[in-house]
Amino acid sequence: MEATRTFQFLGLTFNVGNMISGVIVAAIVLGLVFICSRHLQMKPSGKQNLLEAMVDFTNGIVKSTLPSGSTRSYGLWAFTLFYFILISNLLGLFLHIEIGGVVYVKSPTADPIVAMSFALMSLLLAQYSSVKKLGYKGHFATYMQPISFLLPVNLMEELTNFLTLGIRVYGNIFAGELLAGLIAKLAFSGGILTFAVSVPLELAWQGFSVFIGCIQAYVFVTLSCVYVSQKLSIEE
Amino acid sequence: MFTHLIVGATFNIGDALFYAVLFIILMWIVKLVAWKPITQLMQNRADKISSDIDSAETARNNAAALEKKRQAALQQSQAEASDIITQAQQSGDNRRAEIISTAQADAQTLKANAQKDIQQQQQDALVNSKNNVADLSIEIASKIIQKNLTAADQKALIDSYIEGLGSHESK
Repeated sequence: MEATRTFQFLGLTFNVGNMISGVIVAAIVLGLVFICSRHLQMKPSGKQNLLEAMVDFTNGIVKSTLPSGSTRSYGLWAFTLFYFILISNLLGLFLHIEIGGVVYVKSPTADPIVAMSFALMSLLLAQYSSVKKLGYKGHFATYMQPISFLLPVNLMEELTNFLTLGIRVYGNIFAGELLAGLIAKLAFSGGILTFAVSVPLELAWQGFSVFIGCIQAYVFVTLSCVYVSQKLSIEE
Repeated sequence: MFTHLIVGATFNIGDALFYAVLFIILMWIVKLVAWKPITQLMQNRADKISSDIDSAETARNNAAALEKKRQAALQQSQAEASDIITQAQQSGDNRRAEIISTAQADAQTLKANAQKDIQQQQQDALVNSKNNVADLSIEIASKIIQKNLTAADQKALIDSYIEGLGSHESK
C-alpha cells in the first residue's frame, strides 16, 4: 500500500489525501453545475442544454428503475451521486499528485473506504425508504419474507449488496489506476524502446479507463436505484 | 476490528464520515444552485408546451369557424348585391314605363285641349262672322234698297241664309 498522511480528530482517523481529492471532486461538480445553471432561459442554449441533458440522463435512470413519480424525491440524489462518482472515477486519470511518496490527489473511488462509504450511503437510503414506506415494524418484517427462516439469507443479501456495490467500483477504478501506474513505470524503465511502446499503450488504457469510469458510475447509480426500488416495491 | 478488512486498507471511519458530510453538503448546494431552478424550468416548459399545443388547437378551430362564417357572409352579401341590382333594374324599368305612359297621357290631353280650343275658336269665329254679316248686310241692304227693314226681319233673313250656307257647307 502507498503511504498515506493521516491525522486524528475526535478519536477518528482522517486521510488527508482522500479529503483533498473529495473536496476537489465536489468543487468540480459544483463548478460545472454552477456555470451551467447561470442565466436559465425557457429556450435553452449552450451550457444550459448540457445541464438539461445531464439532468435528463440521471432522471432517466431513476425513471427506469424506480416507480413513476419518484424523480421528484430521488432525482437530486441520483444526479449528485452519479456526477460525484463519475468525476471521482475520472479525477485520477488526469490528476495524480504525489509529494514525498504520499499521494494527495487521486481518484477517491480508488480508495476502498470511499467506495464503501458511498455503497453504505446507498444501502442506508434504501433502508430509510423502506422504513418511511412501511414503518419500522413493517420494514423489519420484510426480512422474514416470504418465510421466517429466510431471515439469515435476507440479511446476507443486504451485506452482499453492500459489499458488491462498493467493491465493484473500487476494484475497477483501483485496477485502472494501478495498471496506468505500472505502464508509466514501464515507460521510464528501459530507455527509448519501452517509452515508445508504452506511450500508445498508456493512451489506450487511459481511454479505456474513461470508458470504465463512466460505466461504473452508471452501474453504481443504477444499482443504488434498484436497491431502493426493491425496498419500495415490497408489498405489505 | 475492522482495520485491514479489505485488501489491507485501513478502515478510516473519519474518511467515511467526511465523505458522507461532503456528499450531503454538495447535494444541498447543487439543489440550491441548479436543481431547483432547472427542474422548475423544465416543468414550466413542459406545462407551456402542453398548453401551447392546446391553445394552438383551439386557435385553429376558431380560425376554421371564422373562415366558414366569412364564406357564408360573403355568399350572402353576393346574393344581396344581385338582389339589389335586379330590384334597381326593375324599378328603373317601371319608372321608364311610367314616364312614357304619363308623357303619352299628357300629349293626349294636350292634343285634345288643342282640338277643343280650335273648335271653340271656330265656333266663336262663326258666331262673330254671323253677327258681322248680319250687321253688314243690314247696312248694305238699307243703303241699296232704301227700305227700312226691322232688325228682326233682317235677322230672320240672314239666319235662313246662313242655314242654307251651313247645309250647303255640310253637303
